Amino acid sequence: MKKKRMLAVAALSMTAVLMTACSGGSGSSTGGGSGEASTIKLGGLAPLTGNYAEYGKGFQIGWQMAIDEINAAGGVNGHKLEIEVKDTQGDAVVSSNMATNFAEDESVMAILGDFTSGACKANAEIVDRYGIVQLSPTASAPDYANMSKYCFSIMGRQDGEAPYLARYILDKYLGAKKIAVIRVDSDWGLSCYENFLPTAEELGMEVTVEKYASGEKDFSSLITKMRSVNPDVLVVMDQGDSVAAIFNQADAAGWDIQHVALGPGTSEQLIGQLTTPDNLIVTSPFFFDENDETLTKWSSTFQEQSGFAPTIHPACAYDTVYLIKNAIERIGDGEITRDAIQQALDQSENTGITGALNFTEDGDIVRNYMICGVENGKWVVLEGFDYANE
Amino acid sequence: MEYFLNQLVNGLCQGAIYALMAIGYSVIVGVVGMVTFTYGEIMMIGAFSAYYIFQAFGNNLPLAILAAFTGSFVIGIIVYKLCYEKFFNAPRHISLLCTIGISMLIKNLAQIVFGPETKPVLDIIENRTFTIMLGSVRLDIKLLQIVVILLVIVLAGTLTLFFNKTKWGIALRAVSQNKDAAYLMGINVKRTALIGNCIGSGLGGVAGILLSIYYYSVSATMGGAYSMKAFAASVLGGLVDIRFSALGGLCIGIIENLGIAVSAATFRDVFAFGFLILVLLIRPQGFVSKKGVRV
Amino acid sequence: MEKAKDFYEKHKLIVYLILFAVSLVVPFVIEQALILRYICTIMMYATLAGSLNVINGYSGQTCLGQAGFFCIGAYTCAALTKNFGVSFWIVLPLAGILAALVGLLVSLPTLKLSGIYLSIVTLGASEIIRIIAQTWTPVTGGALGIKQIPYPNLFGLELFRPKYYYFIFLIIGVLFLFITSRVLRSRVGRAWMAIREDQVAAKSLGVETSRCKCTNFMYGAFWAGIIGAAYAPFVNYIESSQFTTDTGFNVLAMVVIGGQGTLLGPIIGSAIVTILTETLRFLENWRYVIYAIIIILMMWVRPQGLLGASDSILAGGKIRRKEKEQGGKKA
Repeated sequence: MKKKRMLAVAALSMTAVLMTACSGGSGSSTGGGSGEASTIKLGGLAPLTGNYAEYGKGFQIGWQMAIDEINAAGGVNGHKLEIEVKDTQGDAVVSSNMATNFAEDESVMAILGDFTSGACKANAEIVDRYGIVQLSPTASAPDYANMSKYCFSIMGRQDGEAPYLARYILDKYLGAKKIAVIRVDSDWGLSCYENFLPTAEELGMEVTVEKYASGEKDFSSLITKMRSVNPDVLVVMDQGDSVAAIFNQADAAGWDIQHVALGPGTSEQLIGQLTTPDNLIVTSPFFFDENDETLTKWSSTFQEQSGFAPTIHPACAYDTVYLIKNAIERIGDGEITRDAIQQALDQSENTGITGALNFTEDGDIVRNYMICGVENGKWVVLEGFDYANE
Repeated sequence: MEYFLNQLVNGLCQGAIYALMAIGYSVIVGVVGMVTFTYGEIMMIGAFSAYYIFQAFGNNLPLAILAAFTGSFVIGIIVYKLCYEKFFNAPRHISLLCTIGISMLIKNLAQIVFGPETKPVLDIIENRTFTIMLGSVRLDIKLLQIVVILLVIVLAGTLTLFFNKTKWGIALRAVSQNKDAAYLMGINVKRTALIGNCIGSGLGGVAGILLSIYYYSVSATMGGAYSMKAFAASVLGGLVDIRFSALGGLCIGIIENLGIAVSAATFRDVFAFGFLILVLLIRPQGFVSKKGVRV
Repeated sequence: MEKAKDFYEKHKLIVYLILFAVSLVVPFVIEQALILRYICTIMMYATLAGSLNVINGYSGQTCLGQAGFFCIGAYTCAALTKNFGVSFWIVLPLAGILAALVGLLVSLPTLKLSGIYLSIVTLGASEIIRIIAQTWTPVTGGALGIKQIPYPNLFGLELFRPKYYYFIFLIIGVLFLFITSRVLRSRVGRAWMAIREDQVAAKSLGVETSRCKCTNFMYGAFWAGIIGAAYAPFVNYIESSQFTTDTGFNVLAMVVIGGQGTLLGPIIGSAIVTILTETLRFLENWRYVIYAIIIILMMWVRPQGLLGASDSILAGGKIRRKEKEQGGKKA
């Protein structure tokens, strides 16, 4: 018995050592020369499992689509692109581990991702110390991109979208005075609300707010609470499944109220999850216009590969690859290093499928917004980009 | 006043679902004599069985309930074979870890098979609200809430009858009270435990479908949070008595919602677990008056 | 294998010296910071699993709430070093003491309880600690967590590379092993094991079971708190979702796979689980499926863990004997 036990231990420790050795070996073999390599490797951080898995899958497919297109067209300056996507589980610590992983691997020229603002902020310190670009398709916290010169995001910041929501949807479009806000208790939710409140107060609105822990399922008591205030509009600030859950439970309570959401954008899944989708208004920097040929083509290719309709998130992911491509083109004949990409990216003026992408000094972009609603189970633009200027 | 009464109704309804979960849970724990962490995943399987019935046959609630019960029943057999059958006389942590392992297994397989996204379950029960005026106090009760509460009462009633009047039911009770004595009385302990475990799982499946209807969605990860609540509720009830477990579920539902009414929604679980620990401090055996079965 | 053991018995000092030398050299030989990070993670979980092992393995209580004590340590460290600039080295023992005090609180209701009730109370306590961390915004940062936790500073040297961190975890781990092995050989430790094997018998022989259980919980919580405090600057960012019951279950799985009631078991368990989940990362969800199957297989084949003794109560040995005596009870 004892002998068996010792054998088992010995076998296990052997495998352990071998595994460590193997991973060590592969690490050093890829860590070789970078300048003259004909493929340029990018690191992708995406939540492929966990709460945000569908967004992570969207990232993966969006990135791969762009890379396939670029490589099919002959690559960038003769270089082919390649991306290695790592699962961050929507967890900031795993994300940091994976970011360190990429930063340590000298063949990785830039990091794309991660999905949540929280994870991106947790990685800011690491990418700053190692000097590698972290270009997030979706981080929208205003205090993320200025954490380091290596941090970029193209989602547009909450200090643009949240005041827009207050000024143009609630005040100008709906003429609401009494607002009930239900928000998720997270980095992102707090940042939304903090950027929303000053504008709302300036416009003389009366705001009641409640927050809930991410993952909450039962909102009936929150809804009863909000209902007792008797507001004009119910605003939900969240990106995940809770948006649909809150509106559905408000409907089920027989509460007839205008629904406004900040966060999900024009998500097709959301329409499928709602009992009364026609009652919803959202802000969106981007819209899948059926008349726009490139967009519809992109959207159908995406749907073919993923099996679900795209939101703005994979579209942004797709754009990030092109941003890197443009940066590499701008480097031209110079040596492609992490710092060169950072500098070239910083100066870029670009247009992607999600619109104009020009970085501010902090490394994020200012987006314009429009007002979207649902008619007969389809997203429509209620007011376009010009509405803010009228 | 009106506000608190309405919150009480919310609490009652959520408590009713907790109660059903707790009933199933305490049937399992009572009969098997070991704690389980697979319960959340069993509920999830029930909810998904019903979801696919809705997809295939439209809004057929009785058929869906049957499917949920059957789906979870089958999972119950697997769980029993893997986690309990061999370990009745072994230290408790062995089967406990087995159930944690199975829970992990089912949850991740479900994510692979069913996909990671949340799936909508809409319009199963008509969206209607009844308004009751008690003097000047206005109470809003959803049709959904009435259906859920009725369903829970019917199931709990049937189960009580089953336990008290049928031969199988009495055998189950005997096993949950004292395995050795039941064995000496000529009861096939292992088979009875298997049946009990499956019935408990089936009830969990029904609770799962109620959850999916009540919250309009199913997802592979929905089980975790509820399994903790079912656990807490049945511990409150003393773990083996279904009536007290149901009471425990109701209490947790009401306490949570009233707590949220006066504070914030982020404190939900503090109220649930705080209440549980408080009760255990005063009455280590939960609500049960006599000393329950030692588990 | 027996020879190896004999060799160890004879040349204890040499073995220790070799181990000492190897552990000193490791961070200078391995150049990939990532691999060092994994080694650090293994050492961290090994100590955490060891602290749980003190409760579960040596005194036979089924504690499911180790994540809670870990959480207290991490938040104590993060809040004090970040907001008040307290030195890491002062915070380290403080975090342990605070966790031990909470451990005492948790152990009070559990004195009356056993079995499932004890498990649910520890589980509930762990959840409550996590929710307090999630909601007590002024101190814990609420749902936002605490970011950019200062790295420990040793005589002006900022210890942020995994190379330095390796030594922090190594020292804590070695201290834990050394002190625990002493405690286990003392009167207190023997009392813990007596409770594990037979509580009634232990009581009848004059072991003050309730006091022993209390000290047992406090001792386990103390080390969980210390390792939590070391964990916070290591990951640089903590938030409440890192301390869910799943974390607790994970640590429990490490203890059980390695072998409860052995000093080396948790180390082996931690190494296996960490290496497995990291190397199989590319399998996405399938790796948890594999992990789950391993746990179940382990329980079927070697319930006492890889290093556990097959005749301990933890292996079900005693009860199996009883079953044999009763004979043919398998209905």
